Amino acid sequence: MNPSEAADRTRFMENVRRALGFPPGRREVPGGLFRDRPDREVLQAIHDAKTRSRDSRLELLELLRERAGPLKTGVTAVEDAGAAALAVARLVRETCPEWGVEKRVAVWRHPLTARLDLPRILADSDVPVFTADLCAPGLEGMPAEESREHIRKSVVESCIGVTAADYCVADTATLVMKTRPGQPRMLSLVPSVHIAVITLDQILADLRELYAFLRWETREREEEGLTNCMTMVTGPSKTADIELSMVHGAHGPRGLHIVVIIGPAASAAN
Amino acid sequence: MTRIRTELFRQEAGKALKNRHLQEALSDFQERISKATATAFSSLPDAEGLRLEARRARMRAIENLDVLLERLADKILARGGRVFFARDAREAVEYCLETARRLGVKKVVKGKSMVAEEIGLNEALQEADIQVCETDVGEFIVQLAGEPPSHIIAPAVHKTKMEVGRLFSEKLGIPYTDDPVALTRAARDALRQRFLEADMGISGCNLACAETGHITTVSNEGNIRMASTLPRVHIAIMGMERIAARLADHDVLLRLLCMGAAGQRLAGYVSYLGGPRQPDQEDGPDEFHLVVLDNGRSRILADEDFREILCCIRCAACLNVCPVYGKIGGHAYGHVYCGPVGSVLAPLFVGVNRAKDLCLGETLCGACRDACPLHIDLPGMLLRLRSKLADGDDGWGVKRERPAEKLFFMLWAGLVRSPGLYALALSAAAFLQRLLPGAKDTITRLPYPFHEWTQSRDIKRLDGRAFRKRWKELR
Repeated sequence: MNPSEAADRTRFMENVRRALGFPPGRREVPGGLFRDRPDREVLQAIHDAKTRSRDSRLELLELLRERAGPLKTGVTAVEDAGAAALAVARLVRETCPEWGVEKRVAVWRHPLTARLDLPRILADSDVPVFTADLCAPGLEGMPAEESREHIRKSVVESCIGVTAADYCVADTATLVMKTRPGQPRMLSLVPSVHIAVITLDQILADLRELYAFLRWETREREEEGLTNCMTMVTGPSKTADIELSMVHGAHGPRGLHIVVIIGPAASAAN
Repeated sequence: MTRIRTELFRQEAGKALKNRHLQEALSDFQERISKATATAFSSLPDAEGLRLEARRARMRAIENLDVLLERLADKILARGGRVFFARDAREAVEYCLETARRLGVKKVVKGKSMVAEEIGLNEALQEADIQVCETDVGEFIVQLAGEPPSHIIAPAVHKTKMEVGRLFSEKLGIPYTDDPVALTRAARDALRQRFLEADMGISGCNLACAETGHITTVSNEGNIRMASTLPRVHIAIMGMERIAARLADHDVLLRLLCMGAAGQRLAGYVSYLGGPRQPDQEDGPDEFHLVVLDNGRSRILADEDFREILCCIRCAACLNVCPVYGKIGGHAYGHVYCGPVGSVLAPLFVGVNRAKDLCLGETLCGACRDACPLHIDLPGMLLRLRSKLADGDDGWGVKRERPAEKLFFMLWAGLVRSPGLYALALSAAAFLQRLLPGAKDTITRLPYPFHEWTQSRDIKRLDGRAFRKRWKELR
């Protein structure tokens, strides 16, 4: 921040403090507005969610299905990564390219999507798979600017984006995705169809649980927290701006599919 | 600055009332949206509890705005973003222009933002020879038509699909159709190219989170995501009050926002943005700027009579139930904020005298207060604004409107306090009323200055006997 911007900020803040009747320079609030430590019940809720039985997880999957239906979000449950790959392949077959003629798939660099081995699965149907990753083989040695341009162009030309997700909220049928290296936000936005592959243990009950996780879950707290961009996606892109008629595919994807791997060994973390 | 035309409220409202298309569009819209939101709302297990929780969170936030904004700014700066605090519209616009100039920006894509409308950003950018493209389908329609938006979340609500069809065939060169699917598809095609070509994306901010240092943008179309992802610079503009302290507060606030706006459990896209693309990431803007705008808000904050209006999360639920908005639409208000919330905000922003007809024009029926997810007491604030108009107010620089009215009521007060004089005046009036036109029991037209009372109704003739006297007889 340059000095004049800092001065603007001070002046602005003093004005706000004056309006509220606070002394100049106040920085903290007695009692605290923010929390350094979670409430006991929040910790309990996180613990409960993490130790959910398989049956209650399957119940959440049912809730997700129920909520996803009216939102035009497909939910497919499969046993393992191999079946997930086949499910993705089927969705790819059913999708027609919207802008170009060639059918292309763009995918995240993520342990879960890697397990699907899409390049091999889709080779039969002649659909090229592009990994949107600065460190992808073929991009090494290229200046970062050029690589980014190349990735952007390839994603724009792809009609299907395949991603993983951080969480999926059953109550609202919402996918939660943080932007990280190898996991650009474009993939859930620019292609005509977005497919997210998740595992059963990533499904949370509701938004309250999600926010508790994002703020207080151990790994979130100690390792990452919210990155510079986190996107919550509920259903495909839609608009009702013309006489309140619901139309899907306003700017973002026209189609959204969630493939859930429910096999006992499935976990996104490995 | 977007042209403020609050002085023309009566005239514009009159025109709107005669516009049959508008009447149809509005009544259809209100009917459907208010039902949808009411149904969705009643499906919540503890709707009332959520509202109270949301209200508490919002009040706590605006009463500690200084601390929250400092925290938000520090966090965004730490991620390499920039934060500019603008005291007024001019400073905010100047900052955006300066940023655009520095980066050689030629094309801007915009996500719908009421604050950007408030500061007149589009006009300023266009004057600086920068192409500005609105990307929300509704905003795109009104921009093509050369009109301002007429609803906070449904900017083209006043247009029928036939009108949109004619507009698109004229401006986009597509064959005429009134099919919303085909029209949306045409907008999708036209705008995709604009997103890819733009150098700068501009958006608003629905609700920031101080604790984590993020803004949020909420949309259903994905246009704001496009505008904040594809161009090399993203500027987000937020009214300084649009912030919550804790991430946990977002749970109830975002749900109520989406519920009030469109009867949704959650809108299609909610993005948490807290800085530019990080060095090893593939996409996102090279630069991220947040402009925090005061523009009259600190003045509202300082007045406890009106502070509550800063809790507003702009869901537009009040517009969707307002009988006045439902008849005259958004344009008649002559200000970017219309409907019940606009009738309170516009006078506070532009001057109570200048926007007096907005607060006088509402019915005080209370539907807005009932529909508001935060229970904001809009009718109460309208009354307080009216009392400023009646009595004048130095703090807000309000001049007394109609001093004669004031004088009349002072005389009236004197009269009713002296029974003898009152009885005398009453007999005199009972005698004189025979001169007024009407039937045996009613008067059809009162003379100036009382003529407005009989503008749209007849008034009962006076009995001639004081109530106290009649009461005795009745007993």
